[in-house]
Amino acid sequence: MSRVLVPVAVLENEAVPLGLMNLLGTMDVTVLGYHVLPEQTPPDQARLQYEERANAALADIAEEFRDAGGSADYRLVFTADRQKTVDRVADEVGARAYAISGATGAVDRILVSLSGDVAADRILAFVTELVGDRAIDVTLLRVAGDDGAVSMEAAAERLDAAGIAATTRIAEGAAPLEALLDAVPDHDAIVMGEQAPSLQSFLFGEVTERVAAESVGPVLVVRRPRSKPESESE
Amino acid sequence: MVSEEPTDVGANLEGEAPDVERSVETDEATYTDDSELERTIGLTGGLAIGVGTMIGAGIFVFPGLAAGRAGPAAAGSFALGGVVALLVALPASELATAMPKSGGGYYFISRGLGTLAGAVVGLSLWFGLVFAAAFYLVGFGFYAVDTLAELGIVLGPELVIPIALVFGVGFTLLNVTGTENAAKLQNGVVALLLSILAVVLLWGTLDALGLIGRPSTPERFMPFGPFPVLTTAALVFTSYLGFAQVATVAGEMKRPGRNLPLAMVGSVLVVTVLYVTTIFVATSAFGSERLASLGETAMVDVGRHYLGSAGALAIVFGGLLATMSSANASILSTSRAIYAVSKDALLPRWACRINLKYGTPHVALGMAGGPILVLVATGRVEVLAEVASFLHLVLYGLICVALVVLRRDEPEWYDPDFRTPGYPVVPALGAVASFALIGFMQTASQVIGLGLMLAAAGWYFYYARDVNLRGAL
Repeated sequence: MSRVLVPVAVLENEAVPLGLMNLLGTMDVTVLGYHVLPEQTPPDQARLQYEERANAALADIAEEFRDAGGSADYRLVFTADRQKTVDRVADEVGARAYAISGATGAVDRILVSLSGDVAADRILAFVTELVGDRAIDVTLLRVAGDDGAVSMEAAAERLDAAGIAATTRIAEGAAPLEALLDAVPDHDAIVMGEQAPSLQSFLFGEVTERVAAESVGPVLVVRRPRSKPESESE
Repeated sequence: MVSEEPTDVGANLEGEAPDVERSVETDEATYTDDSELERTIGLTGGLAIGVGTMIGAGIFVFPGLAAGRAGPAAAGSFALGGVVALLVALPASELATAMPKSGGGYYFISRGLGTLAGAVVGLSLWFGLVFAAAFYLVGFGFYAVDTLAELGIVLGPELVIPIALVFGVGFTLLNVTGTENAAKLQNGVVALLLSILAVVLLWGTLDALGLIGRPSTPERFMPFGPFPVLTTAALVFTSYLGFAQVATVAGEMKRPGRNLPLAMVGSVLVVTVLYVTTIFVATSAFGSERLASLGETAMVDVGRHYLGSAGALAIVFGGLLATMSSANASILSTSRAIYAVSKDALLPRWACRINLKYGTPHVALGMAGGPILVLVATGRVEVLAEVASFLHLVLYGLICVALVVLRRDEPEWYDPDFRTPGYPVVPALGAVASFALIGFMQTASQVIGLGLMLAAAGWYFYYARDVNLRGAL
């Protein structure tokens, strides 16, 4: 089974919706409990005070995931930089994807975005494993004029071969983000690929975060392949 | 690095034991048994902490005072201070890479030399930072009045202290409630400041060397002889308090083995060059006697001399930024110093509580802000600066001693990524120089500093004599 990281702002009483827990019942889950601190507070200082309480809450959440059918463990991180923590822990546990929690009931239909510079192959493999033999319908979405590495027909066939009911939708004349958000209302959850960092994501924030903020429901972000250990400049 | 099972660490008067956790340190995080602490500060952030803490006083408050005491040789005083700072920064870097945890100098000393030395240094550091922050705030008050004057709003010097008090309250509240991008703001302030200084100093240096403008009349280099150069070095050493603050964020720094030494040594080198150039330019502009008469904001007139009213405005603005950044950094460091001793049960545990609403250590920030306001109200710039230097110099001297003690009988856990070049000469010189600078201070400062250390020792014997921190990692 592939592993999915589920970050939870544990001390802010963020809850994971039951619909997301059930959706991830086919996967291994690592619940990443985190607490973001401002720069003036050493993370260790928060650990001293809140570690016990946070771990108790995380143990409960992991238990609920197990009740929903998957296998789950948890980790607790005090940090000043949420995204760095998510990336590091996802690397360490070898997570294929991470979740951005959102409100949802039972998930019957998921929207999969194949627009833009994303690893379509990894996304399709992930969706196949996620849906498994459950009756969850999939909509594949791409904006018009965007010919990715995998054609939409081939993608739909691949899901059909795995026994998944897939429909394709080509959005005309819309930017990828708007097209995605337009298609959201008929769906209960979104799967999309992690984008390469760009000037746009630097200025306006990660696309995935914006989708999550505007779509209300949960978003599963399939991570880009990590070619080699990152050689950071700092 | 894997710590050994801790020995018995004892408990304080209220039965609180030091919080000693086994931990594994990597480049990206610290792993304790039940949680992880992310490392998020890069080299740039570390340099900004070091440079940002140091630069306020040296350039913008001291040139007039220093030139009055030592003449043009004040540049030598600053260079001497820089050398001493470097002699301490190297051993501090080694210890920080061996123990990359929050707590900084206090942590090294309590683990290397034991609880008494740790308690004296840890509590004195709280007071030392309070004195430093008060000093920066008074400097800020002077610059605020001058900035308004440049803009045509003339206020009397009697408003310096009230302005400093208002901003002291403001910074404390800001640190309790303001959680957005404090560090990024600090980085921006430091970058802007360095650009302003680079322009003014480059122009001034060209002018002073006679390449542009009219040649200035040379002056005797040491009009008062060599002794004032040393006493002035003791005074202006306050300008170098800050590089060790980098070690207080050691637990949050990415790739600590590389970034800690680079940030500490790098920030000392950067500010030394800036300071020496500044004094050279300032004394070339006016001659030391005139400079001395201009007092705390002499640099404004230096800016005016070289670049007209634009230069004056650039300097007052730079002075505002610099004293602000130093004051703010010191308030933050104070709260970290209180946290470090409170975690080790040398102060009650409630002193390091944080609130969930803002995630900030409001108690410790209050314990910083309150005393700072009292000291600001005294308005005694030189004494504030010297007491701050006194208490930091004791810390620095003991850091060097701790290095020698640890190296002579290296414990199993001691495995620094960076080893001080020139051992044992460098730490020995660092210790001697740090303690020697104390000897050149005013008697009043020495008495206050010594009194605070004795009070800290008294507190230890009363409150925490059963606490045992040596080697407790």
